[in-house]
Amino acid sequence: MGTSVKTQELTRRAAVGALAAGAAGYALFGPRGTQQVPKGRIVLDYWEKWTRHEGDAMERVVDDYNRSQNRAFVRYLVVSDIGQKSLISIAGGSPPDIIGLYAFNVAPYAEMGAILAMDGLAPRAGLSLADYAPGVREVMRFGGRWWAAVNTAGSVALYYNRAAFRDAGLDPDQPPRTIAELDEFHAALLRTDERGSLQRVGFLHREPGWWSWLWANHFGGRIYDEGSGLALLDSPENIRAMQWMQGYVRDLGLERIKIFSESFGNYFTPENPFLTGKVAMIVQGPWIANLINAFKPDFDYGVAPFPTEQGYSPSSPVGLIDTDVLVIPRGARHPEAAMDFIAFTQRQDMTERLATAHCKPSPLAKVSERFMADHPNRGINVHYDIFRSDRAFVPPRTRVWQQFKDEFDTVVQRMWRLEVDPAEAMSRLQTRVQSLIDQATRQQRRRNGSGGGGGVGGTTA
Amino acid sequence: MTDPASRSTRGVEFRAARRNILVGMTWVSPWLIGAGAFVFAPMAMSLYYSFTDYPLLEPPLWSGLDNYFKLLSDPTFRRVVTNTAAYAAISVPLFTLFALVLAGALSGRGEGGVGRMAPLYRACVFIPTLVPLIASAMVWMWLFNGEYGLINKVLALVGIRGPAWIVDRNWVMPSMVIMSLWGVGQSVVIYVAAMQDVPRQLYEAARIDGMGAIRQFLHVTLPMISPAILFNVISLTIAAVQVFAVPSVMFRRPDGQNPAGHFYTMYLYENAFVYGNMGYASAMAWVQLVVVLLLTAVLLAAGKRLVHYSRV
Repeated sequence: MGTSVKTQELTRRAAVGALAAGAAGYALFGPRGTQQVPKGRIVLDYWEKWTRHEGDAMERVVDDYNRSQNRAFVRYLVVSDIGQKSLISIAGGSPPDIIGLYAFNVAPYAEMGAILAMDGLAPRAGLSLADYAPGVREVMRFGGRWWAAVNTAGSVALYYNRAAFRDAGLDPDQPPRTIAELDEFHAALLRTDERGSLQRVGFLHREPGWWSWLWANHFGGRIYDEGSGLALLDSPENIRAMQWMQGYVRDLGLERIKIFSESFGNYFTPENPFLTGKVAMIVQGPWIANLINAFKPDFDYGVAPFPTEQGYSPSSPVGLIDTDVLVIPRGARHPEAAMDFIAFTQRQDMTERLATAHCKPSPLAKVSERFMADHPNRGINVHYDIFRSDRAFVPPRTRVWQQFKDEFDTVVQRMWRLEVDPAEAMSRLQTRVQSLIDQATRQQRRRNGSGGGGGVGGTTA
Repeated sequence: MTDPASRSTRGVEFRAARRNILVGMTWVSPWLIGAGAFVFAPMAMSLYYSFTDYPLLEPPLWSGLDNYFKLLSDPTFRRVVTNTAAYAAISVPLFTLFALVLAGALSGRGEGGVGRMAPLYRACVFIPTLVPLIASAMVWMWLFNGEYGLINKVLALVGIRGPAWIVDRNWVMPSMVIMSLWGVGQSVVIYVAAMQDVPRQLYEAARIDGMGAIRQFLHVTLPMISPAILFNVISLTIAAVQVFAVPSVMFRRPDGQNPAGHFYTMYLYENAFVYGNMGYASAMAWVQLVVVLLLTAVLLAAGKRLVHYSRV
């Protein structure tokens, strides 16, 4: 009996001792922050999505800011799935001071009062909307207010393989301007082996497939009207666009496309099908020039506005403007200091340096001659033309955009597999998506009526 | 009337029992506090949220049973329920069968090479379960690749043109099920342990009665390891209903999730953290919990009739 009691006491002592030793060990030898924060400075946490060369370029801007003054110190943290993690951190009341999001996040975040309006903050920090390229301003504003700054901006264009054009007997200086010409070029560029397997295609809508919804804009329509809050998925333009897409699958054969697509490497690798010559024309942003310069510097590529059904005039090409934005989340501890950092990133020299490293245009209206002359993307002028175009467009700005897009993508996949007729599928999707939009609107009205939530007119600083 | 001595003894016993309970509660208090804070409180909150419109970034507003009614008219919800049910219905029996066959072969009871080498083979079968799920999924994506994948290369050797496994919607479910068999090792280890626990005299009696190997397996081994089978089937069913990580990696493309590879927990997660519909996601979570509890109850009820608990 006595022995057993003694054993129990020893065990407790050992357990408590082990816990204490563990805690002491953790305190003494545990993980340490790698960044030394200078004393007396406000610490600003900045979450950004970029990695590799894109992240390195942004980190250099952060370092310059930290060296340029002694009031604040920005801690740069790379965050994957940044939209989801930002959402959770804001909801949890513990967000960083600055977040680098995507353009399509601005409207839903603004509607939910998750980010601070910059109407007051930005001018105090010396920023003016007039300093930005016209198309870029659209991204920064929503509901009549200013919500975001743009750290890098891109517009989407047609990138094509000039060597493949020559191989197919096409003039590489005369890229297609209409959808019909694109189809002809695609047919000329098509190559199969003796078994009939695809070796090269001119164009494939789902490569890389990031913007499955944008074809309607190149057929003279759009999929959402922001003013009325109406989805326009069953519009004749969108249905024609989807029929056009399905036509490629019918011509090439679904099974052949499936097998061919499986031979494509990941986008960020030298096995990217555009770089390997398997797909001769793709719809892409300016950043692809970075891949080309890194993996295949002698790759002969051309850039042009993506064709439209009716063609376009050189001064008003059609193209999506897709940007990366900087926002100050609700609950940020130091919004004024965060704005000061954002204003630093928006300086002409900083935007040009970052844009050069990302192979993108600068978001500002004014750019230096040197920036244009030394730019690593040979098609940079095309991207600027789209920025300035009155027919440029931004991703649909609705609170339910993410779900809208996912539902759209699912239906596009079914159309791609020739399982559904575009008119019928788009009609059904129209009903479904409109009910999502209406439901979100009703909930927002109810919420505003009950005094809850921030809303577009809500949170400011 | 009780005498004072007896009352005093009971008092001492009561104090000792109370002290024991206090000591016990102190020792388990880290778990109790942790479970309370990180399991039971969030569960209670999610039950409340399931009756609200809660967009995560704004306060929840009471909406009654709206979220539950919305589930009924949501086509994506119907699709993920169908996919998940199909996956569970196919993968659980197949997985169990495969694990039992492997365990039978590796239980070390047989004569010859397999018997002597059984520990090595058991280790080989178990090792894949140690590989992280995402890493396994990446490996299988290459194995299933329609153009360069090893599986299609092997099929080509015998004149079969393999499908685009992870792209073709008709082959998404088979590829998921095949990949799930990769993790069979854990069940095999449990079955092998259970099989080794079966008394030898039962097999001797069966042999005297003229039973062959298959009948011995069916009439001796299976009934004797049925508690282990029940445990495994319940665990597998719960895991199948909650499948998430592997299809999220394998069937996701830049233009969205392959609809045939879209499962219940993925849609739940998307609603909660991508679309910001926390109320709706909470309702989905509670429906999932109720379904899991019902399935477990059904399996336990079936187990009462089919599982053999007695020992020789």
